[in-house]
Amino acid sequence: MKKESPCQMKEVSKSRLGSKLNLSRHKLQSKLWRSKIKSALESSSLKERLLMLASTIPFIAASTMSSSCATSCPYGMVNDPYPGQCPRYVDLDGNGICDLSQTTTTTADDTSTTSTTSDDTSITDGATSTDTGHGNGANADDGALINQTDANSTVPQDYPSLDSGNIDGDATNYQVLPVTMIIIGSYLVTYFLFKKGILNRTKHRRIWNLLVTLGYIGSGGTGIILAVLINLGIRTALNPSLTFWHVELSVLMVVGTLIHLHIYRKPFKNMFRVLFGFRTGSGKNSEALRGKSK
Amino acid sequence: MVYDMIIPALPFIGGYLFTYSLYRMNIIRKAIHINVWNFIVGLAFLISAGAGFLLLLLMELGIKLSISPQLLYWHVELGVTLALVTVFHIHTYWKSAKTMFFPAKKRVKT
Repeated sequence: MKKESPCQMKEVSKSRLGSKLNLSRHKLQSKLWRSKIKSALESSSLKERLLMLASTIPFIAASTMSSSCATSCPYGMVNDPYPGQCPRYVDLDGNGICDLSQTTTTTADDTSTTSTTSDDTSITDGATSTDTGHGNGANADDGALINQTDANSTVPQDYPSLDSGNIDGDATNYQVLPVTMIIIGSYLVTYFLFKKGILNRTKHRRIWNLLVTLGYIGSGGTGIILAVLINLGIRTALNPSLTFWHVELSVLMVVGTLIHLHIYRKPFKNMFRVLFGFRTGSGKNSEALRGKSK
Repeated sequence: MVYDMIIPALPFIGGYLFTYSLYRMNIIRKAIHINVWNFIVGLAFLISAGAGFLLLLLMELGIKLSISPQLLYWHVELGVTLALVTVFHIHTYWKSAKTMFFPAKKRVKT
């Protein structure tokens, strides 16, 4: 067996002592943190408790969003075959079509297809006809050929969407309300932490300024790309996803701007005073009056 | 529908340069220059976001109005303006915006 020299033993004991000290310091810090939060919770008023309750909104919204996301394709694709046109491709039933893009199918044992151009009537046994619920005109004509959707072809929704610059699109895929609730809930959480002194003013403002900037960059960037694509008459597979992210980031931008106005409400009020001479509040804040309070 | 991207932006670029030079020449107060552009950014936001929200709502409810194409047009045009004026807003508050992007280094005791 190898014997350790006294010098080595000293080093080992030093490192052990160091790690123990680190551990105890870590424990002490976590205990202090817990006691700080506990005391903050105990000293909270009814208003603050309500604020805390409201902060649970994002979790409720997140759960709502995940369940609604699971049911339909966010890009509006129908019967998207393997390997799929987006990274969200899921095929649990193994039929080679993305489950999210798969529409509700009605299976009939005997489906008759009638054509007005010929007298022949063809019978399809066990055919699976797909009805998206949005006729493309073929079904609207009386006695017209009843179309069957080819399972192996990716069919974008047959109605125009925002990506083409039209105003009639599919709005069911946009997560406006859950995203709004998540952002508002997150703001309430950070505002509560700021009010309790756990988060300092600078950090609180920085978080929300960064988020609103992200919203503006994302929404503005996608919006300008979409406008350029529309102007040039280019239609790519990216257009639906660009529109989707334009809407979602616009929600962040709008709610973020309202939060920004709440954070900088004093200079906002003083803006009307400076420009139009409206008197709002005491107006004692000279920094805000000069528009420099940021 | 073709959207104008550069022509609507020109008066705003000119206007910002104009008020900025007036402020630099001490003809107008800094507060006036800042608040005028804060008001413009607020107005552009209100119209662009309002039109966008209205379009989304109409789409959600499946309502087709005769003013919808105009609404979309002004949503895009004011959106372009908003993007531009936001850049001016960041320029106005560049000192605080800088610390947002690049946090200030902690002072080292000597």
